[in-house]
Amino acid sequence: MDDHEPTSESEETEVEAAEVEAAEVEATEGPAPPAPPPIADGEEHLVDPRSVHVVRLIAVPLTLAIPLLPVVALTLVWALAGLLTVVYLSLLAALLLLAGLGVFIAYRFPAVRHRHLRYRVDPDGLRIQRGVFWRKTIYISVTRVQHTDVSQGPLQRRYGLATLTVHTAGIESASIALSGLEHDVATRLSEHLRPRRARNAG
Amino acid sequence: MQAEAHRLHRWSWIFIAAGTLRALIVPAIAAIFASGGVLLWRPELLSLLLIVPAGVFGFIRQWVYNYRFADGALVVRDGLLTRNVRQIPYERIHNIALVRNPLHRALGVATVRIETAVGGHPEALLRVLSLEAAEELRRHALSEGRPDAAAEDAALVETPDSELVRLGLISNRGLLVVAAVVGVLTQVDWWRNWLTDQDWLRFYETARDRGPGWLRQLVESGSITSKVLLGVLVFVLFFGLLRLLSIVWYLVRYRGFALRREHDDLRAEYGLLPRVSSVIPVHRIQLVTVTASLLHRWFDRESIEVETAGTSEEESGLTQQLGASGIKLNRQWLAPIVHSERSAGLIRQIMPEVDLEAVDWRPIEARAVGRIVRRVLLVVVPVTLVLTAVLTFAPIPVHGLHGLWLPGVVLPSAWLITRRWVRNAGWALTDEAIFFRSGWPGHQTSVVRFVNVQTASMRQSPFDRRSGMATLTVDTAGAGTIGHRVQIPYLDAGVAAQTLHRLYAECRATDFCW
Repeated sequence: MDDHEPTSESEETEVEAAEVEAAEVEATEGPAPPAPPPIADGEEHLVDPRSVHVVRLIAVPLTLAIPLLPVVALTLVWALAGLLTVVYLSLLAALLLLAGLGVFIAYRFPAVRHRHLRYRVDPDGLRIQRGVFWRKTIYISVTRVQHTDVSQGPLQRRYGLATLTVHTAGIESASIALSGLEHDVATRLSEHLRPRRARNAG
Repeated sequence: MQAEAHRLHRWSWIFIAAGTLRALIVPAIAAIFASGGVLLWRPELLSLLLIVPAGVFGFIRQWVYNYRFADGALVVRDGLLTRNVRQIPYERIHNIALVRNPLHRALGVATVRIETAVGGHPEALLRVLSLEAAEELRRHALSEGRPDAAAEDAALVETPDSELVRLGLISNRGLLVVAAVVGVLTQVDWWRNWLTDQDWLRFYETARDRGPGWLRQLVESGSITSKVLLGVLVFVLFFGLLRLLSIVWYLVRYRGFALRREHDDLRAEYGLLPRVSSVIPVHRIQLVTVTASLLHRWFDRESIEVETAGTSEEESGLTQQLGASGIKLNRQWLAPIVHSERSAGLIRQIMPEVDLEAVDWRPIEARAVGRIVRRVLLVVVPVTLVLTAVLTFAPIPVHGLHGLWLPGVVLPSAWLITRRWVRNAGWALTDEAIFFRSGWPGHQTSVVRFVNVQTASMRQSPFDRRSGMATLTVDTAGAGTIGHRVQIPYLDAGVAAQTLHRLYAECRATDFCW
């Protein structure tokens, strides 16, 4: 079953090729900074930790905004229509407690999720593992990639991050997104995953 | 070298006009309603508004439309004001389908759809060609794409009427027909009004008076036995009618189903109206599913379906039209009904690398039974508690302990069914494909060749993780997520991970081609 493992030799040549390719890209862009490590290192990586901030910056205000409406409504009822102050205060406290819990989760959960999002790049493809409670592992072979997208939202741009989306001809896996990558890494990864033919098929 | 340009058939304008009219039918009905029915009594106005422009449009279209066989590509030219020239490389052509309704047949012509991998709509729609011209087109396009192919004529599958009757008995199609009819009728006001305006009591009385004596006795006696008998009678009549509809539907839709080899591909021809002829390119088959429901098994029959990629169910004029008439573009029959002993052989004939008889089935985890039954328990226990409480405290002369009948019946049967289900589920890997079989009492088997695997993934719910299991999913290009596919639940997590890695290796070693 394991005879389909790539031999270490072929892996090396591929890594070299990737390095050369990366070097060429560098060369066309003027003065070369130290060459970045090869992208297809076969190691497990977490996405950039700053992606946690990006998610928090969206999730925390959103979670705060949700109880805002009931709080305002409750206050209006209390002030205008008349409501026992004790009832008002206890309801308010309950809402605030709920909001606090929400914010705590919105603050903590992105970090937990970040710890559980891992990707591994090898010469022939990509593996993504994700999910805190419900876990999913997906393998995408380069031979099945239709095209790739690298996109950046405004917040991501501020942190120099990006989302890589890999498209295949599948139904469920028609587009697979990996967000929170460093922009440079995302670009190189997208280069690496550029559709190509199987090696033994020529 | 400029190849000779071919024109559409001289009756084309009729079909183009008919197509235009069909597209205009909703606005036309709206216009009739808007005019308060006046338009309905002024046919000359209606024809002036609709039929004449459609006919003129048809003439123009027929006049400007032409196609020619260039080197390597079919060139289709269309448009009067905006000239459009489309080049369709022969090798890209997936399917050349002929669609014929009674009018087509009366005039000896066919509408020709040219389909490529571009999803959604046919790349070109030649409305209409004579049969000879259609055949020439097919010969040109399909043989240029695959130069050294030899034609074979022996039918792989031929479905006689007797088999279609069986299929009608097996399938639930009648219910769909009824549902469609009811659905349409409830939307139409005059029909609803007619229904409510009828004097149903008088209708019933007349029917009773004129019906046979025994029926009258049955209806009027009012005893429990007669009521039960009457109920059974109505039930039998209703389901008999459904099956009858189902049989009629299959006889019309799939009359004379025949699957033949054509070059490297297959051609399926079927239908009374319209007669459909379509090519199934063997290498574009993504998924094969063999269905043997309980009824199939009683008749010792199976159905074989394949999913081909390239055309999707997106809405375009023609797909919609075909979809409404029940033709599935993506999931199509390889054999609507075939003797169980023949099905494996048939698949092997078409795809030698897929041999259902030489498969070494591996079981899924037997521990799954406990997990599924526990899940049933989770529902049954609260329901039982509520039921017992209601029976105890409600003012009815039923003892509360009678509530225990529910778990007493449900749990053992759930356990028995689950055990059979788990025992009958199985999966297998060969050198070329992955197989998955599931279901009880009926079962389905799906096969995906490694070449057609898009991605492989593994999922673990918290419960999966607690029991060390996982679900393995193989994603393919094709029709969608409805229907049986290779998604193997309750696998040992280690085995799943190993299989996942194997599938990945197979993907890396092969190219996917459309």
